[in-house]
Amino acid sequence: MSSTHKVSTYCYQCVNGPDMLTVEVTDGIATTVAPNFAAKGYHPADGKVCVKPYGLVQKIYNPNRVLKPLKRTNPKKGRNEDPGWVEIEWEEALNTIAQKLNAIRATSLIDEQGYPRVAFTTGGAATPYFYMGTFASFLAAWGPVDQSLGAGGTVKCYHTEHVYGELWHRAFTVCPDTPRCEYIVSFGNNIDASGGVTSVRRHADARARGIKRIQIEPHLSITGASASEWIPIRPKTDPAFLYAMLHVLLHERPLTDLDVPFLKARTGSPYLIGPNGFFLRDPASKKPLMWDAATGRALPFDTPGIDPALVGSFTVSGMEVGADGKTWEHDAIEATTAFEVTRRLVAAHTPEWAAPVCDVAAYRIRRVANDFIAHARIGETIEFEGRTLPFRPVAVMLGKGVNNGWGAYECVWARTMLMVLVGGLEVPGGLLGSTVHISGMDFDRMGSVAPHPDGFLDYPFNPTDKEHWAAQPQVRHGHTTLIPIIGGGLTSQLMGSTVLSWMRLQGRAADSWGQPKPPDVWFVYRCNPNISFSETDRIGETMATFPFTVAFSYTQDETNHFADLVLPEAIDLESTQLIRIGGTHYFEQFWDTQGWVLRQPVVPPRGEAKDFTWIATELAKRTGLLEAYNAMINFGAAGLPLKTDAYDFSLDVTRAHSVDETWDAICRAASADVTGGTASDGLAYFKEKGFRVKPFPKINWYLYPRMEDLGLRFELPYQERILRIGQELSARLHEQGVTWWDRQLHEYEPLPTWKDLNELWASAYERAYGIKASDYPFWLLTARSMQYAWGGNVSLQMIREVAANIAGHDGIMINAQVAEQLGIEQGDRIEVTSPIGVTSGRALLRQGVRPDTIVMVGQFGHWKTPYAKDLDMPSLNNLVPMNMDLVDGTGSAVDAVLVNIRKVGRKSK
Amino acid sequence: MTRYVMVADLNRCVGCQTCTASCKHTNATPPGVQWRKVLDVEMGEYPNVERLFMPVGCQHCSDPPCMEVCPSTATGQRKDGIVTIDYDLCIGCSYCAVACPYQARYKVEEARFAYSDGPTENEALRFDERRIGVAQKCTFCSDRVDAGLERGLTPGIDPDATPACANACIANALTFGDLEDRESNVSKLLTENTWFRMHEHLGTDPGFYYLWEEK
Repeated sequence: MSSTHKVSTYCYQCVNGPDMLTVEVTDGIATTVAPNFAAKGYHPADGKVCVKPYGLVQKIYNPNRVLKPLKRTNPKKGRNEDPGWVEIEWEEALNTIAQKLNAIRATSLIDEQGYPRVAFTTGGAATPYFYMGTFASFLAAWGPVDQSLGAGGTVKCYHTEHVYGELWHRAFTVCPDTPRCEYIVSFGNNIDASGGVTSVRRHADARARGIKRIQIEPHLSITGASASEWIPIRPKTDPAFLYAMLHVLLHERPLTDLDVPFLKARTGSPYLIGPNGFFLRDPASKKPLMWDAATGRALPFDTPGIDPALVGSFTVSGMEVGADGKTWEHDAIEATTAFEVTRRLVAAHTPEWAAPVCDVAAYRIRRVANDFIAHARIGETIEFEGRTLPFRPVAVMLGKGVNNGWGAYECVWARTMLMVLVGGLEVPGGLLGSTVHISGMDFDRMGSVAPHPDGFLDYPFNPTDKEHWAAQPQVRHGHTTLIPIIGGGLTSQLMGSTVLSWMRLQGRAADSWGQPKPPDVWFVYRCNPNISFSETDRIGETMATFPFTVAFSYTQDETNHFADLVLPEAIDLESTQLIRIGGTHYFEQFWDTQGWVLRQPVVPPRGEAKDFTWIATELAKRTGLLEAYNAMINFGAAGLPLKTDAYDFSLDVTRAHSVDETWDAICRAASADVTGGTASDGLAYFKEKGFRVKPFPKINWYLYPRMEDLGLRFELPYQERILRIGQELSARLHEQGVTWWDRQLHEYEPLPTWKDLNELWASAYERAYGIKASDYPFWLLTARSMQYAWGGNVSLQMIREVAANIAGHDGIMINAQVAEQLGIEQGDRIEVTSPIGVTSGRALLRQGVRPDTIVMVGQFGHWKTPYAKDLDMPSLNNLVPMNMDLVDGTGSAVDAVLVNIRKVGRKSK
Repeated sequence: MTRYVMVADLNRCVGCQTCTASCKHTNATPPGVQWRKVLDVEMGEYPNVERLFMPVGCQHCSDPPCMEVCPSTATGQRKDGIVTIDYDLCIGCSYCAVACPYQARYKVEEARFAYSDGPTENEALRFDERRIGVAQKCTFCSDRVDAGLERGLTPGIDPDATPACANACIANALTFGDLEDRESNVSKLLTENTWFRMHEHLGTDPGFYYLWEEK
């Protein structure tokens, strides 16, 4: 008699999760994924999941899985070396790791150079943490761990938006208030491919309601397909378009067309700037001054009843506070408002100036700017949750390729300024942040709000003063030393310059700091940096020098090819974990509930794959860390504290607990969390119900009400703190003899000046590689594949099959007219060469690509991963240089590269 | 009377292929067989280009050419408009596949599996010998529809009575329902929006409607 049942679980393969699903199981075999319809009414996309989790069933039964621990027998590591894998028992594998770890504990957790001897790398914007059970608790019990050896983060993320967004409006990621927005200007923001289920649903609903979206990007993306208009802009010229939009608003429209009350009350626009570039302050209170026309004098920003001037320069007295406590006293000097300084910044950046830069007609730029302001409905309000709020249904969005590396500061600043000028930041209809990572806990964005004495949001910059600056890098990319804006919190390491780590290990960056040693033990999980980062062949050579690498892996791949141990963990549908859902989360998850969702084994683990919680507990036992590990779980490292004033489900720290015992305690705490301590249901409850939530106040979707309540201002336009911090950082680094970060220090401008990025790239290449930039006339870009992104699913046949329906999954997209000029026909093999690498693939002739652009979708280029290695899909990654001249002030770079192309073969008939 | 149809809103569809994947799961189709899939269509010439995503599959025509040419009466039509194939009657002549103007039919001559070393456990469990050497296509998940109706559920509204693709669609681009019911979800969509059907001129009266508004 056949029996079938459904099991509830979650998918968090990308940052847009978690989403809920059910899996049908027949006679013990998983067969069918479906939405979790019980989540309708809670989950903003009605409990649906995207295409990726449909691959999870095949992921279980893929014959290429690693199902038993593997040990390397060939001590030589290299791409062309056979690792000589032999299967071993878990006992041997765990004891081998424990022996290495215990040897480290017996000496020092930190090596002679001051870096952690243990390193851990993962990918997927840290979503693997939601698959690795209590391993994070083990790492927390261990002590210092280097997480600077990135797998692509800071190059493959929205880095500048992350850091400046969080500084300005608690927006590690931003999105439109899509359900209310009416007009979006999108610079390559590919939300329909990268925003997950909720984003797709919200934008589809918005289109049905008539939203307009202008898509400005070099190739017509998935998202561009549904836009009202496609404007094919020249790559890396987005700042010029944005600055021209600012010019239109600030020079072609009267001030009264802007949201003047918002600018005066909720921003730093009226703050007066002194001759040294710092705010002019009241000498007694040190508060920034504004010009009060009514009294004809400068008054502190928080003076009640003041109507400050936005425009102009005034003769005033006051003081400036510069770097390292330096002060200037001024008597009757001329000071200009921050708003006026901003107007002057963009005075020359007319649409006519931007047109040849962007290869976009001036009238189109001007029209977009004017339409933006027309749709902003300045002055209108909306009733929301019993409160009257401004209603500004416009947003400016930025894609990944304009959100990191040089030029991203300009883009993010200009975008946010456009929102500020119309009063559309953090109000209904406008541009919102969805989560925080630097200034607070990701599930409590509002909890991160704290006032700064200057009237802005407080922010945990890494210190740059002499006394507190971290002169000694704590990890190999020195994030707390070099990059103040990423802070020093739990996730800050992931935002450091991961390019710098790899380049330092290769002995080609940060000379004065010396070449670091590799970590004694490197754990790698759910990522493949030898495919997913830049200059990947070189990364492989570097990995080969690591003395002991442990990869938790699903199949053999390009990174674990260099490992010493490959360990099979119980995968997505085979293991247990409870995580948070709801509240606000990226990219567009806005819930009216918040709570917890369980991932549970749909079927037992295959082979000898083990639940990660079991692996973590076994390692803790073998390294004498059991008590500390249990204590970390009790403290909250597995999701939430197991003991508070309201409940106590803490684990006995003296003994090991089974996977189910551990998660039962966590489930009980979660039940108490969502019920105010009244419920204590454990694992059995969540296995049956799947999730449990409590109400989340919708007013917390917007930061503006909290800012208004606290009388706070958005720290725009003028970046006085950035200027001061940059000067201090410059002084600290130069005191240490560090000059190799000078180029990055140039970014610490209070208002970002426009740069010619095409020239910047060309000259950087010519300096570094002795080439003529004109020999590389194409920009090679990448674009998101929703089917593959972050799924680690390149070895799944079904994903390949369905993804192939979407253009770009079978070749290199090139403009059809250009291809014709070059004698390239559909399907011909073309070779793509950058100054540092070469690859080839099938030509895919398209109309929706600029003539100066070619596109490689996704992250392929596999040579080891089963199935994927036979796809013949090229990757841009090995062609993208790691080059310190292309690393920006926040430590990020971009995965775009100048290339040339040539035909090397005819399509096989 | 009842006529089940599918409405695809092209302004909503983003080509994610979630419907394609969910169909493959629910109907256990082998590699290369996609009863439901979404085409990536590009129109125009640079820089005046449009791109759209178009879900396709059996159109469940009321006058289906596939049925007309079927020599074995394997292709049939239910009273609710769903076009069916009786695998036991099908002789695999492929006339239907040639006649279908929508290229919606597949024929698999031998067992096909995702990986070269034989069926995986889930493939083995769900392998259906009857589908080898015969025509196959989208059934509008008629088994789900029927099972749901038996339980008093409404196709297109209740997930357990609705085709998997419409259930799974993350953009709510696919809507299934009864065209003959003036109050149904699909009737309302077709009343309130502009739409077209593929190859309308062929007179097949397809049961697959595309909502489309010119930009």
